[in-house]
Amino acid sequence: MQRRREVAAAPERTTSETSETISDLTRDSLARAETIDLTDVDGALAKARPAFLALIAGGYLDTHSLVLVAGALHLSITTVSGDWALTLEENLAAVPGAASAPDWTLYLPAPDPLGPMVTKVAESHRNLSVGEPPAETASADAASSLVDLDALARRES
Amino acid sequence: MTTATATTVHTRTHTATYLAEVILGTIGDLLADLGIGASRLYRDWDQDEAAIKQWIEEESLDTVVLECRQPSGKVAPVVEFPVSYTAYGLGDAAFTAQRAKLARYRAKLASVPTGTTFGLVCTFRKSRTPMPGWSPTTRASTAGLRSTNFGVLASAPHASTSMRVLT
Repeated sequence: MQRRREVAAAPERTTSETSETISDLTRDSLARAETIDLTDVDGALAKARPAFLALIAGGYLDTHSLVLVAGALHLSITTVSGDWALTLEENLAAVPGAASAPDWTLYLPAPDPLGPMVTKVAESHRNLSVGEPPAETASADAASSLVDLDALARRES
Repeated sequence: MTTATATTVHTRTHTATYLAEVILGTIGDLLADLGIGASRLYRDWDQDEAAIKQWIEEESLDTVVLECRQPSGKVAPVVEFPVSYTAYGLGDAAFTAQRAKLARYRAKLASVPTGTTFGLVCTFRKSRTPMPGWSPTTRASTAGLRSTNFGVLASAPHASTSMRVLT
């Protein structure tokens, strides 16, 4: 399930508030997973916070996405700063797709000059990465992966 | 026929939130470019952001100063972010930041010796609200340093901030 979420940053929110909003969106989307430990999610998000702050305050998340991948979930998160932040119609609802995910990764962008700092943050937790996120699957593929094919087969038989 | 209109109200809080973010974000970028450890900046982010935002909103803040303290005792570069206020606000003013220009400017900064640390100092134009984590101090001397003006770094309806680098 590939989705995009835009989060209103300054002047609508402070950097700290924007970071918290992104963390909440990530956590809420992963909370639907049956096998993902939310304590582990909270630990990763705490480790990622310095990178979130630097990327938000420097304006980098306006043009570089955070990408959360968990099973069929492929969520790109960016920020909107300046005048547009005040009129943005946000959708901060949790994104489905992670229900049966065995694991997850949050890919952090590492633009210049924050590359070394963000890389160090990513190395501090196994669920964080500065690698290239997997390519988004086609919408149809993503949608079909949410369908329980076994249940359909049972219904048809 | 029906018509609709949308109005966005720019408050002093919006201005303070925006300028505090741009100033602290620029400091983060400068420290990264200079190779100075910034873990303390991010650890103390909440209290520093709250303080700078509060002081811009009440118009007590004059300048945010980044002091880079080299192992030799020399303090350089020193980066100043003076804030200018607009008396009644400019209703049609936009929230803008010169991020592309800043990136080009940062590329010209000379590196600093390993072990250089940083400090943040604020100066005031009138009495301020005390904020947690901030206590009275004095600025390091800038005698002998050469000043370069970057110009306006960010603008908002009620205030703007510039940047001046002393090396």
